[in-house]
Amino acid sequence: MPHVIDMVDKILADLKKVGGVEACAAATRDGLLIRALMQQEQFAESFAAMSATMLGAAETATSELGKGIPNRVIVESDHGRLIAVGAGPKALLMVLVNSNTGLGLILLELEKSAAKLKEIMI
Amino acid sequence: MIETGIPKLDDFLGGGVPKGKSLVYYIQPGVEGEVFGMQTIFNTLKCNGTGVFIVSSTSPDTTRGQFKEFGWDIDMFKDRLFFVDAYNPLIGAPSNEKYVVLNPDNIENFNKVITDVIKELPPSTIVFGSLSTIMDLCGEKETIEAVKNWNKLAILYNHIIVYNFTAWPYSQETLDLLKKEMFNAVISIGGIAERVLFGQYFGILKSDWAKETKKSMLFRVLRPGGIKLFIPKILVTGPFDAGKSTFVHALSTRAISVDRLGTTIALDHGHVEYKGFSADVFGTPSQERFDPIIKLISGESMGIFLVVDSTNPTDFVRAKQMLEITKSYGLPFVVVANKQDLPGAMTPEDIKMQFNLPNDVPIVPASAKDKKGVFEAFEVLINKITGGI
Ligand SMILES: Nc1nc2c(ncn2[C@@H]2O[C@H](COP(=O)(O)OP(=O)(O)O)[C@@H](O)[C@H]2O)c(=O)[nH]1
Ligand SMILES: [Mg+2]
Repeated sequence: MPHVIDMVDKILADLKKVGGVEACAAATRDGLLIRALMQQEQFAESFAAMSATMLGAAETATSELGKGIPNRVIVESDHGRLIAVGAGPKALLMVLVNSNTGLGLILLELEKSAAKLKEIMI
Repeated sequence: MIETGIPKLDDFLGGGVPKGKSLVYYIQPGVEGEVFGMQTIFNTLKCNGTGVFIVSSTSPDTTRGQFKEFGWDIDMFKDRLFFVDAYNPLIGAPSNEKYVVLNPDNIENFNKVITDVIKELPPSTIVFGSLSTIMDLCGEKETIEAVKNWNKLAILYNHIIVYNFTAWPYSQETLDLLKKEMFNAVISIGGIAERVLFGQYFGILKSDWAKETKKSMLFRVLRPGGIKLFIPKILVTGPFDAGKSTFVHALSTRAISVDRLGTTIALDHGHVEYKGFSADVFGTPSQERFDPIIKLISGESMGIFLVVDSTNPTDFVRAKQMLEITKSYGLPFVVVANKQDLPGAMTPEDIKMQFNLPNDVPIVPASAKDKKGVFEAFEVLINKITGGI
């Protein structure tokens, strides 16, 4: 039986193949890095923690306002986009996307990957 | 009743200042207090009243300019705003005002002009721009006698009489008289002890028509805008699992935390109302991976609660480090020795030793889970921030 980490690696590897995805990572909800596929590895840990903070803060903000839990957080800058989605109660998934790719397909793939991650983290 | 127009102050005073009453804004030197008298008179004008402004330390025209800086258009009320010019004669300049004190260093002369004003004008809000300046020019005793007389006349003619007074080191006797006897109400205006720039507060020292209130408020002076209240931000930090989030919730009338898997990943936020003092409290995460967030949250706070788990001295190193991250050295802080309910909890004295803390750092024993010690800690910190309101 494959180890959980190997399964996470597979999910990330698949996600990384989607056009426009520059980096991706999985983290626990409390911001610990599980695994990352990114060039600047040294930033992976704070990337994980800050993404957990963003998603958590966004979830609290919208649910306090009675608007439910957001499906994702998308941060746009001139140089790219960062997307974080929840993957069940224990994990989250984030991707860095370049600035010139449409998000449609990426969001779809991200959704699928998050569902898989949720299953294997339970 | 005439409202002062200063936020919260009218509430504290039970609606405002009744006709015939005298009130002094007792201002600690170095604090921007003159605006209190100005805002009071402008509010009277806005409410269709008549205002008299006695200027002693700037010319009437300069004062008009100051009103404008605050965004208060006094030209609209030209026919209901009178200046008593006790400045231009002092520098030998001519005056265009209806009321002029030709010898501002002569209390008799002053007395005559003010008496005329009191008798001639309809019930007004009479504001002395700087009583301390009159005192410097005319003498403490002489001025006190004159003020007592004006206050009595104000009762007879239904005026409200308001003084800005900067509490320079006059004789203790004078200061005591001002604070305790001469006026119906005394509003003290002071600065935050440790870092003056940080904040100024006002509170009621005395008022013989409103119920005793021990409330005080922090304010800032905006141009334009005048006196605006502000709610200070207080930081709650400390090592993992020390009980910061629990502390924020125990202290607050309402609070939220962004916690996941049992730990704070973004922040705690709560609002505290206690004994007339309000504050927003922000709790930080604690694990090192969140250090950037901790830094982000801690900006502009006025004081810190450093929460530690009294059963876990190994955390004290991190606790000190967190003080550094939050750049809170130099800010007033209080150590909350939490989890005192657990067996083996160290006493505040032990913690002070272990921690190697300076003697003047207060350590308050607490059990945040049971809401014990949290308000004690709050009071200690607020006293440290304000120098004892
Ligand atoms: N025994 C005891 N447990 C406490 C006390 N305050 C907090 N706790 C517990 O300590 C744990 C961590 O509390 P929390 O407020 O999340 O700590 P934080 O990480 O500093 O925010 C929780 O299980 C709390 O219930 C206390 O005064 N006594
Ligand atoms: Mg917490």
